[in-house]
Amino acid sequence: MDLSKLKSRPAYPFETIAVAVSFSPRIEAVLSEAKRLSDKLNANLLLMHIGDKTSQKETILENLMKKLAINEHKYRVIWMDGEPVETILKLCKLNIVDLLILGALKKENILKYYLGSVARKISRKAKCSVLLLTEPSIESNQPHKIIVNGVENPKTINTINTALYISKQYKVKEITVVKETHVPALAMTIADESTAPEKSKLRKSLTEEASQQLIEVIKKCEKENIKIKEKIVAGKPGYAISKYSREKKADLLVVNSTDIHLNLLDRIFTHDIEYVLADLPCNVLIVHSRVQEA
Amino acid sequence: MIKLLHSDLIVFFTSIGVLLILARLFAELGKKIKMPVVMGEIMLGIILGPTIFGSLCPDLFSHYFPKEGAVKIAMDGITNLAVVMLLFVAGLEVQLQIILKQGKTAIYTSFTSMIIPFMLGFAAVWFFPNMFNFTPDRKLAYALFFGTAMAVSALPVITRILMDLNIFKTKIGMIIIAAAIFDDLTGWLVFSFVLSLMGQEGEITNIWYTIGMILGFGLFMLIIGKYLINKMLPWIQTKLSWPGGVLSICLGFCFLGAAFTESIGLHAILGAFIMGIAFGDSVHLHEKAREIIHQFVTNVFAPLFFVAIGFKVNFITNFDLPLVLIVLFLAMVCKIFGAALGGYLGGLTRRESLAVGFGLNARGAMEIILGSLALNVGLIDSKMFVALVIMALLTSMISGPLMRRFLN
Repeated sequence: MDLSKLKSRPAYPFETIAVAVSFSPRIEAVLSEAKRLSDKLNANLLLMHIGDKTSQKETILENLMKKLAINEHKYRVIWMDGEPVETILKLCKLNIVDLLILGALKKENILKYYLGSVARKISRKAKCSVLLLTEPSIESNQPHKIIVNGVENPKTINTINTALYISKQYKVKEITVVKETHVPALAMTIADESTAPEKSKLRKSLTEEASQQLIEVIKKCEKENIKIKEKIVAGKPGYAISKYSREKKADLLVVNSTDIHLNLLDRIFTHDIEYVLADLPCNVLIVHSRVQEA
Repeated sequence: MIKLLHSDLIVFFTSIGVLLILARLFAELGKKIKMPVVMGEIMLGIILGPTIFGSLCPDLFSHYFPKEGAVKIAMDGITNLAVVMLLFVAGLEVQLQIILKQGKTAIYTSFTSMIIPFMLGFAAVWFFPNMFNFTPDRKLAYALFFGTAMAVSALPVITRILMDLNIFKTKIGMIIIAAAIFDDLTGWLVFSFVLSLMGQEGEITNIWYTIGMILGFGLFMLIIGKYLINKMLPWIQTKLSWPGGVLSICLGFCFLGAAFTESIGLHAILGAFIMGIAFGDSVHLHEKAREIIHQFVTNVFAPLFFVAIGFKVNFITNFDLPLVLIVLFLAMVCKIFGAALGGYLGGLTRRESLAVGFGLNARGAMEIILGSLALNVGLIDSKMFVALVIMALLTSMISGPLMRRFLN
């Protein structure tokens, strides 16, 4: 497998969009969303089904493609047997997929949460961007409120730029970049050694510092005509932005892909993206910045 | 039945009132000269305890701080409550995700800053038992305790130092915090094991039972318990009176956890500590609620506990200079070397690694709690207790200046 092409590939534009086809009741809605997005972004569509290739499944898929008026020159179907997660990840690499679209439940039961569903497992491991659709729709539902995670990380500029790229295609005029402030053990530290003015000053300086860092990042982004609103929220990283997105009824939450290999411990001691995956607040786009990784 | 009489009640309330007010004054005075709050509280204990006040005015001392009787039992009850609550609030800040997030350097530093001091401390007792004073049948427990005493760190002192140096949110700051959290967690787990071992040394079945119970209770609380707490807390914080509701429920569960671990043969502190981790890990515990719990415990119960440290022994007659120097030397060398090695292996420069070592060298309140519990169960003698208290205070005081020197 020649990964050199993958490593130098920027986070956007999305030239190849893949969809994992599971023949679940939501198949039509997921394909509709994928079709609309690929049309908007002028991307090629790759449909992947991991499982047996039967005539019945082929017929269902053909009928759906006709119904959704997907141009036969702009899509390919891959049928393959194997373990779903690893096979999908491998196919994404082989086909230089830029964005993988998956249907996902908002929340899973405790057992499945710890064991991990296919969509969640792929989200943790994928070497391309992943769009998790919580409520895919057959009807057109373009995003209006887009929230982006402004965490302090070299990948964040690529993530904000990717959100701006999507916003531009959908003619969204404003996006919100959220930075979370969380200082571990702060309550303990200030409990017995700080006066009330010292506490207020400390909290104010933490917010100002976070705000300044966010402004510096936003300055470097490719804004064009899109307005970027900054927001500082206090709380644990991942959880605070998830809560904010839910409260603001966001249509799309855009976050960085993880820097570390996530495993069961990261679900027991939940942090960052695991909070988002534990209870998806809306559709979530996980941006994989290959440039930074290289 | 022992009962608090009218005169006992007057003595009891007077001594608590005086201790709380003076502890606050000493803590504030200590702050002026950049000393940890706990230092001021222990100094007060030494002044009011048998070391100074008890020697100068023995009658007045034994009237207000009696060594036996109903008042003494009531005071012991309060210090027991205090230590359980102190471990609960220590648990509230154990966020293991910070270690996972910080990656390789934090994992290396956490591991070596725990394991190297522990092994060297253990080896010192095991191979040079003559340097220490313990009963031969408790050699394993004593060695395990001393290893733990060398390995433990003090998160509150460390975070304060990092904040003063303005490096709290830097890479170095987060590595130190992550390692201190890991050291606290493993230190208290090992110490709970040591306390459970007391009186059953050599009985392998009991040892495995104890290890199994500690791990079983910990895993249960961190998976099932945390899940239930996450379901319960939003309801408590919206339906019950605020902040009283969350305060009483959290502390209620802290004491139930303590009672449970005590009932299965483990020490009460373990239940409180793990309950603290489970509550502290919940995203539904508001920062304000967390702060109120800390305020309540650290400003009401902690001063009584730390002042009582000075009451436990006479710090002059039990001051053993060679022992103090041995403990201080071992504690500093083991911890600084262990933590710096982890940082260096994890990719930090030499100076950064040493700064991490000095940062983690602060022992503070955690070491003193550890020593106090070991003294209570008769594992260590008064001389070792005094040596540990002095080591804890000195390491807390020199950490900041030494870190500053290496980071500059």
